[in-house]
Amino acid sequence: MPTLKIPTPLRPFAGGSAQLDLQARNVGGALDELLAAHPELKPHLFTESGELRAFVNLFVNDENVRDLKGKDTPLNPEDTLMILPSIAGGAPLQQVDHAALRTNQAFIIGLSLAAYITDSPWWAGIVGLAMFIGTMLRAPVFGFVYRRWLKPSGLVKPEVLTDNPEPHRFAQGFGAVVELAGFGLLLAGAATAGWALVWLVIFLAALNLFVGFCAGCAVYYWLNRFGVPGFAKAPPPGTLPGLKPKAS
Amino acid sequence: MSLQIPADLLAQIRAHGKAAYPEEGAGFLLGRANGEQRVLVSILPAENRREDSARHKRYLLGPQQLCQAEETAQRLGLDLIGVFHSHPNHPAQPSAFDRDWALPWFSYVITRVDQGQAIASRSWRLAEDRQDFVEESIVEVNEAISEKANN
Repeated sequence: MPTLKIPTPLRPFAGGSAQLDLQARNVGGALDELLAAHPELKPHLFTESGELRAFVNLFVNDENVRDLKGKDTPLNPEDTLMILPSIAGGAPLQQVDHAALRTNQAFIIGLSLAAYITDSPWWAGIVGLAMFIGTMLRAPVFGFVYRRWLKPSGLVKPEVLTDNPEPHRFAQGFGAVVELAGFGLLLAGAATAGWALVWLVIFLAALNLFVGFCAGCAVYYWLNRFGVPGFAKAPPPGTLPGLKPKAS
Repeated sequence: MSLQIPADLLAQIRAHGKAAYPEEGAGFLLGRANGEQRVLVSILPAENRREDSARHKRYLLGPQQLCQAEETAQRLGLDLIGVFHSHPNHPAQPSAFDRDWALPWFSYVITRVDQGQAIASRSWRLAEDRQDFVEESIVEVNEAISEKANN
């Protein structure tokens, strides 16, 4: 008679039994027999749609039934069928709406260009200060335009990706420092150097908006790689530092 | 619901999380279960089998590792009462992913490790409807009490 072995965490739902003698002659029949005897096990073995949960592995002797014939795998009288779950878990994944980031980049580019075209150093200063305040508030500073108007109206569609928000905040903070340094140089009369820094911010924001490469994020991840304190996050799995994570 | 953990074992669990940082570390909890009260007697640190690129926020203990842990517990006259793992730079609270993959009845001890330092450990059990985790209190005890539980 085949035997079914039940792992410790499932035993309380099987009347405390560690094993069950089976009448069934295949794996599917054995599961039906187990659930008929102990229906409380069902939610822990199967999803609401009736699929075997991803962490549930069934072994006949030493072989995973996925490598045999699945539920049709035959059971001989001397066989042992084992339920051996994989145990997995981990920290919560964070999500970032890249549409809000793109809106922010577009506003930074537009307002910085307007400052240059109208030769208004104070505009550059205001943009730099806004970016700095956004960094302190841990948000893309012009993201409210997206959240309040562009997203509700459907003009910009959300693009929520599994990603770390910290590198994007660092990138905005880096941009704020460069833009404010440019503003300072402009006030000091060093127009060429000042506008060069403003244009650097425009270029890096455009690189992010149009090419999808976040230079500030790349710097953040390199600092992480070198173990610099305060740069705790590594790039999302399968993503090169600075590049946009793939949708999953 | 409570889980008694001898101070030296709690220190070992935290040290394992620190050593694994910035990846997640994990292992098994062996002890005794008496109704809603549990006593941790030994731990089995285990290799995180998750692929390299995901180990900073995921852990995986395979079926063979579980089988070996069950055998070890049986040999020692103990129960396999749960699993411990670390959350690098994240709170010691279960994630949605933890819930989706959780086994019932087990105690899940999660240790928050920030910048390589173990900050806090908390223990959880999956609710029977699988919708949420319920926290069980960790009672840190000295070794004399754990040996009493061993006898």
